[in-house]
Amino acid sequence: MISRVAESCFWLHRYVERAENTARLLEVNRLFLLDVSLPELQRWQPVVVVSGERERFAEHFPDPEAQNDGELVQTYLTWDERCPVSIVSSAYWARENARVVRDAIGSAGWETLNGFWHWLRGGSGRRLWAFDRAEFYLRVRHAASLFQGVCQANMLHEQPLDFMRLGALLERCGQTARMVDVKYHTLGPTVRGIAETPLEAAQWLALLRSCSAVEPFFKRVRGLPTGAAVVGFLILEPDFPRSVLHCLDRAERFLRRLRPAAAPEVGRSSAELLAGLARGLRAQSIEQILAAGLHEELTRVIDTSAQICDAVYADYFNPTLAPPPSASAAMHEP
Amino acid sequence: MKRNHRRSRGLLSDYRPLPRVHDELFLEDGSPRPAVAAVARALDAIEEGEFRTRQRLADSVFHRNGITFSVYSDQRGVERIFPFDLIPRVLAPADWARVARGLDQRVRALNLFLADVYGEARILAEGRIPRELCESSAGFLPSLRGVRPPGGVYVHVAGIDLVREPGGELLVLEDNLRCPSGVSYVLENREVMKRVLPDLFATAHVRSVDEYPTRLREALLELGPAGPAHSALVVLTPGIHNSAYFEHSFLARQMGCELVQGSDLFVHGDRVYAKTTTGPSAVEVIYRRVDDQFLDPQSFRADSVLGVPGLVRAYAAGNVTIANALGNGVADDKCIYAFVPEMIRFYLSEEPILGQVETLLCSREQDRARVLDRLADHVVKAVDASGGYGMLIGPRSTREERAEFAERIRQNPRGYIAQPLVELSTCPTWAGHDTKARRVDLRPYVVSGRTTWVLPGGLTRVALEEGSYVVNSSQGGGSKDTWVLETEAP
Repeated sequence: MISRVAESCFWLHRYVERAENTARLLEVNRLFLLDVSLPELQRWQPVVVVSGERERFAEHFPDPEAQNDGELVQTYLTWDERCPVSIVSSAYWARENARVVRDAIGSAGWETLNGFWHWLRGGSGRRLWAFDRAEFYLRVRHAASLFQGVCQANMLHEQPLDFMRLGALLERCGQTARMVDVKYHTLGPTVRGIAETPLEAAQWLALLRSCSAVEPFFKRVRGLPTGAAVVGFLILEPDFPRSVLHCLDRAERFLRRLRPAAAPEVGRSSAELLAGLARGLRAQSIEQILAAGLHEELTRVIDTSAQICDAVYADYFNPTLAPPPSASAAMHEP
Repeated sequence: MKRNHRRSRGLLSDYRPLPRVHDELFLEDGSPRPAVAAVARALDAIEEGEFRTRQRLADSVFHRNGITFSVYSDQRGVERIFPFDLIPRVLAPADWARVARGLDQRVRALNLFLADVYGEARILAEGRIPRELCESSAGFLPSLRGVRPPGGVYVHVAGIDLVREPGGELLVLEDNLRCPSGVSYVLENREVMKRVLPDLFATAHVRSVDEYPTRLREALLELGPAGPAHSALVVLTPGIHNSAYFEHSFLARQMGCELVQGSDLFVHGDRVYAKTTTGPSAVEVIYRRVDDQFLDPQSFRADSVLGVPGLVRAYAAGNVTIANALGNGVADDKCIYAFVPEMIRFYLSEEPILGQVETLLCSREQDRARVLDRLADHVVKAVDASGGYGMLIGPRSTREERAEFAERIRQNPRGYIAQPLVELSTCPTWAGHDTKARRVDLRPYVVSGRTTWVLPGGLTRVALEEGSYVVNSSQGGGSKDTWVLETEAP
């Protein structure tokens, strides 16, 4: 598979995943705030932080009160083209990358993204956002699910799809880790597994909701959604599709598929990094992780994910076997 | 009452062909041409309101499917759809059969000409085409003398532009033998047409165009240096900013091969490789949509970033098939066009089946004098321009424009030819409120591997503006689905 094309595949599904995540996060937070009373600073600011946008947001909106303005935060993370993780930016970059590799992802996948983009940019997306925000965010998430489903059902299950899935899984893994980390910061001291206040319980529930994890959680976990149970579920539950460990397991599978049997040296460094990270998590219980420091562990997950992306780049997108070094970079990043 | 009457009007009820112009669907007296009358009746049965709805649906399908060409002015570039008119252009079977034979003949002759010009150059030695005319062509690449492409095929894909004169005969207006584009619109137009006006297909038996990608792939692979089973095929595009990018991607998808940019390929030991996720991978056949001059910075324009350094060496060594071949520009030079009938006689010992437009070469003194004397009666074209640019339509020009062109011709006589203005035929076309006569041309596509195949129909382009003769998409042109009927109507 052409390296440049592979790189675009890897990124385009990440962008789709990112749009979905942002949509879910905004919607969950919006609903959550309707019937709880939280200090101002805990209402919207965590959403900006999870999105990795704290600094850029402060640059664009220097007023310290801005991060408490729910409408502003939502507009920024949904419509602002200056925000690289906003829904509109993610959709734009997903589509731009898809356009370059339209032949690799197939007509059906492309048309899904293109239709989504036109809906978002045309008046109907805007109107729905103004009129029925829940439905708007739901549509964004559905578009992402549709894209994933259409690709799985129509593409050959070979390299282009493998790179797409790999990208999406690494993105998802990082998102879940960040989401847990930020919540933990806000609620930190309560992760003790002992009785929590109703507000804390509601917050843990909201965290589950932000990861679409409420129903799966209650199928697996008897008892209250305590901090330890929720955090444990979101990090270690092997069967939950958004848990950190599940994403790493699946990503490992796709990386294995991508490595050519005939050339075992190809893809070694990315595979080893990924295997190491997953192994480290699997070896621990949630109690051990909490005792050793959740924030440190999650930081390790997030940093190693970034290293894995760099390694994937070096292993597959910029192969040293091919002189001369490529001059033109692939599409991909905002 | 009046509104109701308007709304239920049939699509062609009030249609009137232009006087002294051939109409594709109607005779001058307003009755449908017998060979295509069934389609005319079926079209007329669609009432206008319904038609408008269908036309809107068609436009939205083009947008949603991203069948667009881009005009990049800022980061969020503008994408336009190539305007599509739902009223098809219909060709009777007998009419088409003759055209297809003529195209086959013409492309065979052009191919033999290219093989000759880059080989023994017999036709020049015998004085049938002036040597200096050939060698002064911008598309002539002397460095490729003696390089014979696999199978001796130069023109893998030809787009031959035809126009119908008032007498009803289809004439060749120009040959496109380098990177003719537009075939994706033929295929997509048909898809959209089937989707929005399915009933129309029930009354007419229309020949399918689906085969094109398979035929092209077959033709390209059978000419691969390693044989069809072992040759890897790629489509080479200048990239996403090229206006025909959609088509490049479309063809790669339809042929099941990789779409690459110049930077994805490299040459090592006179062989071409693609940079893949598992290391270099050999490439044997390149369907390129990059112009000759940009193809290899080592051989042509050194500043090209679209090409592949060393590609021409690999080509000359016979390790890669490039389609279309390099150097084809000499054969579709608008000066050389005048000699194609001569080529047909010289190489095939046949008389040309298709007529063409009388052409004056400004490089010839007596021709030039005639052109300059009567500029208002001619269409003047730059020999190496396309897309409707670099052109003067004499009868519709201003005095200043004529003076400017006269000067240009005097400065560079080899650079210009002149032809009489052909009264292009018209086709009923939706003009927003009602159906009007608009001028059309036709670009059929001819695919050559070891044998030659003509796609039934081709791309019908239509000048959407009233009175306009310019059908190019860059200048207000649109397109139509082109129907070659399977059998004569009863």
